[in-house]
Amino acid sequence: MTAPTESQQLAYIAQQAADSRVNLEFETDEGMTLNIGPQHPATHGTLRIVAKLDGEQVISCEPSPGYMHRGYEKLAEVRTYTQVNTLVNRIDWLGSFANEVPFILAAEKLMEIEAPPRAQHIRAILFELSRIANIALFLGDLGAQLGGVTAVFYAFRDREFVLNQIESVTGGRFHPNFDRIGGLKDDLPKGWIAETKAAMEKLRDFCDELETLLIGNEIFQLRTRGVGVIPPEVALSYGLSGANLRGSGVDWDLRRDACPPGLPYDKIDWKVWTHPDCDSFSRSWVRLQEVRESTFIVDQLLDSIPAGPVMAKVPRIIKVPEGEAYVETENPLGAMGYYVVSKGDLVPFRVKIRSASFSNVSIVPWVCRGVYVPDVITILASLYFILGDIDR
Amino acid sequence: MMPPRRPPKPKVPGLIKGLGVTFGEMVKTLKPDSRGGGPVTVFYPHEKEEPAPRARGVISLHEENCTACMLCARECPDWCIFIEAHKYLAPPRREGGKPRQKNALDRFDIDFGLCMYCGICVEVCPFEALFWSPEFEYGEPKIADLLHDKTKLGMWFETVPEFEPYEAGSEVKVKKVPR
Repeated sequence: MTAPTESQQLAYIAQQAADSRVNLEFETDEGMTLNIGPQHPATHGTLRIVAKLDGEQVISCEPSPGYMHRGYEKLAEVRTYTQVNTLVNRIDWLGSFANEVPFILAAEKLMEIEAPPRAQHIRAILFELSRIANIALFLGDLGAQLGGVTAVFYAFRDREFVLNQIESVTGGRFHPNFDRIGGLKDDLPKGWIAETKAAMEKLRDFCDELETLLIGNEIFQLRTRGVGVIPPEVALSYGLSGANLRGSGVDWDLRRDACPPGLPYDKIDWKVWTHPDCDSFSRSWVRLQEVRESTFIVDQLLDSIPAGPVMAKVPRIIKVPEGEAYVETENPLGAMGYYVVSKGDLVPFRVKIRSASFSNVSIVPWVCRGVYVPDVITILASLYFILGDIDR
Repeated sequence: MMPPRRPPKPKVPGLIKGLGVTFGEMVKTLKPDSRGGGPVTVFYPHEKEEPAPRARGVISLHEENCTACMLCARECPDWCIFIEAHKYLAPPRREGGKPRQKNALDRFDIDFGLCMYCGICVEVCPFEALFWSPEFEYGEPKIADLLHDKTKLGMWFETVPEFEPYEAGSEVKVKKVPR
């Protein structure tokens, strides 16, 4: 091995200096710096949160994402639309199917085709199932963060019923890769509708159980009520979405307000839940009600599946015509959108992914100012982000 | 705006209610019944859960059907399929005919250390040579052993289940596994 040249040495020193400058920005002379994460169960992955403390109180708090950046937007530029579909599965890994839907809808919008009604129904059912699987785990995990460990076991157990249903129709528990431009890969297997209805019954039991065990518990309420208050105007200005916004009392749901064509939410009867308290408790409560509402949505959709094909007529080699499209849907974590630019090629020219968690954690410095250290965990758990969704 | 920090005192303490829920769950796991009672876990190496027939466990190869067209290797998102083939002249089908040109497979490897289990290769195969099997017990101590060659992939073909019938209202034809 040859000795490094002088320019290499200088470049190395400059690199080290740049790294230490980044660290210095976070660390402070006054008070104490506390690193929450990158490996902390409250971060659902590897998010580093640098908190500057004065005794037990947090002066300022800075999230530092990027530990899991995988460069999906760049990778999407060299992969065909079907191959991108397998990548976007891995963004929010707890509700994978929900990630595929907006991307496929954006591509369908560019190609000016629409999936047949049966495919739209099955798509919406799987969309809701992945929402249930995602948020059911949140409800259990919230208990684990606050010291009530029982709930997390029940959540893992009952989420399994939903995952089994997803597996028996798509073949994958976490990464379905089932959505295609113009429809779905396959139809439902025999007996699936009855099994799913039984699973929804179990999930409703799970919601009742958690309401007694966790959400209704006065110790839980002591830990969450009045902690992490986000007023509606602040929530809107930071771009929060999903249950975090509804927990701040804003009646906003993309499924109802701006549902893109290709999802049959206007044909069924359902309700958007909001809570006026704006604190950690209200966010958790809204999510619990959402799981219950989703089970009713699934039941209604299962009853009204029309007969017909699951795939529209699309060419075998998909070339998406030139143009731009942006489609946003209400995913388990909030509003997720794909901005797809196509130059009429096999691969997209550019894909911009707007993920919900990135905006949701951006409020952490605002909301964590002045709170006590254990409340930081409560706030992080109730904001509910997934690292794959932040870093992509 | 600020909600009260201390909630009103409930009649039954949350501790008692929570213990009631956990006790109910404990009783439920003791005896199997029609409402989903009984134990929820299995003793894994001794008992095994049956995965769904569509479960994507391992890819199997039906070698007779493969023509080495390379579609699967080209469509794979992380290029984990390796194919090598050569052409040869097969004897004519009818007396006095021309000899047919055929492709013989020299190498067909799938690196399961790289595979993303997306199923695109199985979907694009035009000759019904690749199938999913729900088999999942093929972990290896060495990562290099996860590269399955065509004999190993052919062995998985015996474990491929028949395709399930579809739910009412479906217009998709049920495919058959060429045995």
